[in-house]
Amino acid sequence: MRPMRIPMHRYEYTRLTRQQIGEKLRATEAGPTCASGFTNVLAGRTLKIVTKDGGPVLEYRFGTDRRLTLRENGRQVNVGYGELALNNIVFFSHMIPAEQKGYNVFIDQGTNLATVFEVWFSSGIKQNAGRPNEFTLDDREAQRQIWFGYVDTGKPAPENLHHYTNRICGKGLYWKQDTGIETLELYASVANTNFVELTRHADQLSWVAPSDYVLVDDRHFLYDRTECELSGIHTCFAADLYDLKQVGVRLGFNERDELEYYMFRGAGRVVGQLAYLEPFDEHGKVPMFAASAGGQPPAKGARVAYRPVRTFRKMTDEEVHEAAERRTVTFGVAGSEDVAPQVAMSGNNLPFSDILVGKTFTVRLDDGPVRDYRVSDKFRLQFRDRRDNVWHEVEYRCYEGDTNLAWFSHIIPGSRPRASVQVAVDFTNGLATSIESHMGTPYYGNETTYRALFGVVEMEGIEAPLYLRHHFTDELVGHAWSWTYSDQMTSMHLYTSPHSMSWTIFTANQTMGSQWCSPCIYVKLRPGVYLFCQCEEACNGAQMVELINTNISHDCGFSFNGGERGVTLGVVGAIGRHIGKFDIAHFYGPRKREDV
Amino acid sequence: MKGVDSNRPETADTGRRSFIWKMGAGMSAVVASATAVGSSAGADDAALRAALLEEEKELRRLHQQFQEAVDRGRYDEVVALFTADAEVRFNGGIFRGRGQGVSRFFREHLPSRKAGTSMPAAPGFELEAAQRLDQVEVAADRWSATAVFPYSIQAGMPLESQSSLASMARLHGEGVRTWWEGGHYRVRYVKDDAGRWKIARLEYDTRVRADWRVGRSYAVSIEVPRLSVPYPRDAQGPDALA
Repeated sequence: MRPMRIPMHRYEYTRLTRQQIGEKLRATEAGPTCASGFTNVLAGRTLKIVTKDGGPVLEYRFGTDRRLTLRENGRQVNVGYGELALNNIVFFSHMIPAEQKGYNVFIDQGTNLATVFEVWFSSGIKQNAGRPNEFTLDDREAQRQIWFGYVDTGKPAPENLHHYTNRICGKGLYWKQDTGIETLELYASVANTNFVELTRHADQLSWVAPSDYVLVDDRHFLYDRTECELSGIHTCFAADLYDLKQVGVRLGFNERDELEYYMFRGAGRVVGQLAYLEPFDEHGKVPMFAASAGGQPPAKGARVAYRPVRTFRKMTDEEVHEAAERRTVTFGVAGSEDVAPQVAMSGNNLPFSDILVGKTFTVRLDDGPVRDYRVSDKFRLQFRDRRDNVWHEVEYRCYEGDTNLAWFSHIIPGSRPRASVQVAVDFTNGLATSIESHMGTPYYGNETTYRALFGVVEMEGIEAPLYLRHHFTDELVGHAWSWTYSDQMTSMHLYTSPHSMSWTIFTANQTMGSQWCSPCIYVKLRPGVYLFCQCEEACNGAQMVELINTNISHDCGFSFNGGERGVTLGVVGAIGRHIGKFDIAHFYGPRKREDV
Repeated sequence: MKGVDSNRPETADTGRRSFIWKMGAGMSAVVASATAVGSSAGADDAALRAALLEEEKELRRLHQQFQEAVDRGRYDEVVALFTADAEVRFNGGIFRGRGQGVSRFFREHLPSRKAGTSMPAAPGFELEAAQRLDQVEVAADRWSATAVFPYSIQAGMPLESQSSLASMARLHGEGVRTWWEGGHYRVRYVKDDAGRWKIARLEYDTRVRADWRVGRSYAVSIEVPRLSVPYPRDAQGPDALA
């Protein structure tokens, strides 16, 4: 099958109705499929599973024809099921006819402990209930509730059940299923996963999905993720970290609105481990959604899911430009308007540099603009683009990101759409790279577009090279850095692929929590010195472009964004900690495909 | 002292290691945990003194209940401890009425700022025993009382950032700049018609603030802005500005 070309965060998934979903789910009455054949551990057996904390009591009778009978709350249903065994764990999955719900059940036959993932569609769950930004979750988004319990054998109920865990946090695995599907899963948070569909998508971008991690024992864990705000598909499996095997199920509706309900086996490989920074006596047994509920028990299905598009008002190019004409703010200078300083994002910034003061130079970009600069002040410079040959005087901010390496930014006055440049000028090597940014994308006006142009700097005393250039790089791919912008704001960046990244927010005890992701680019300026640029696509549309100097564990750079309040060019900078690295760069790039 | 009303007679040196509260002359003789029972009433018979001591015990229990309910987020219980026309003064704001401002203060204002719950004093800012005012005065008619109790709480302020980082932090209850505050509760109590003590007025008399959270090895004195936007412009704001 051809890989999906439109990135998931840009794809307009159909708002399937409850009725449509009900019709599609009829196929689940026969049970899931499996490419490599089911196991038959449960055939002919009866089981009573008791769960705690208000969960269900499930009485099963398994036939020999891959059908089961479930008695729950006095009701009885007969339905097809699938079963796969992994060491002592037997996992079975089934739906309940006409109810748009089902169960994925994991039983540890050694301990008789059981964990039940209840799954359902058409939830009607409201977010921000009662507030102006209230919305209802899409019916196609699979919901889940995890119930911990045991198989009732007539003996006293066990005291210690399976439980949530942070032991998987920071681990990364490559999985290949019996379907041929390959996935990189980077478990960089206790509540989310970064996943890269190596075979299902053309661009090898990473995305984020809310997840749960359950510890069975030191060797086995249970996992789920739901592709919220994307297809809504649910993936759930048990994994053995000794032998790196998995058995699981995938349930939901793909981009073509087709039902996917199949079980799979998979084989994996550990690709690395990031440090997890919570206290050593914090074991992650309390799920994050419960910790955030202010003492109130979480609602059924609650999870930490960032849903930025739901509260984002898309603007047209015209609307954004009108706003920019009313108010364009450069580094907090906005004429008569008072602008709050961006302390939260720049409290730990590098100091501004006067490295450009007294210099006259030309940035000549290959097949791009040629700009002449005259600089006599630390915060204001003059430039002209030789295409219009008009000198402009503008506010700018500059850092010395490495020895004799200037990194500065300014607005392009009068530009439509409003544009800015972020320029790295290497006065030692005669090289220059400009990130050329402007408001607007093919999708909407209040989202930024950027591209990197490479070239040289011409100045008296510099011999600019003819062939040597800064260049795109994958040297950062797999690395994770925490960036502390101020004592109030730290985010971990995980450079997940050559064209994408994710960011993770820490909780108060430095457990890694909510996540989101975006495409990005990486440019190598010098050994250990890089440019990193991303736009929070299909999110808030804001751009961040940073010079990362790994030698001093610091970044410094600029933000560029626009909306109803105008367009803003600001500064951003942070001190960093290297959190670890996944060995994943070799997974990326063009490859031979047998399926195309 | 930074961040504290300089018009008050008491001042404090907020230096990190030499933190000493400087009391006015009228306060200098106060001994920690002293109770000036009935002194204003001139009580001289043993029965009245015993009754006043019982009232004092009751008020101390009430205060413990108040702090415990705040710490555990039992806001319904907290609000029920106040009179219908009670007021709370906090950081330049006045929250009036049990059903309105006081309820808003405890149910919305404090939780949105992760504020009000007990926490240890910031290192270098601990009060010496003689500086911890702790006193209860019960009127001779036993229908009203005043008290001063020390507090050591977390306070905070939501980050104003519209960034995705702040939005995501709010998903799990973060996105708030927190700090430590020390000071005294100044409380006025009255009895209701059923003879039960209620809080008629509660003032957070903040003496010092430090940028500190548990686990950090250092603390520095900070200033924070007083509340400046009243309700309803600020949906969680005070009814009036002090």
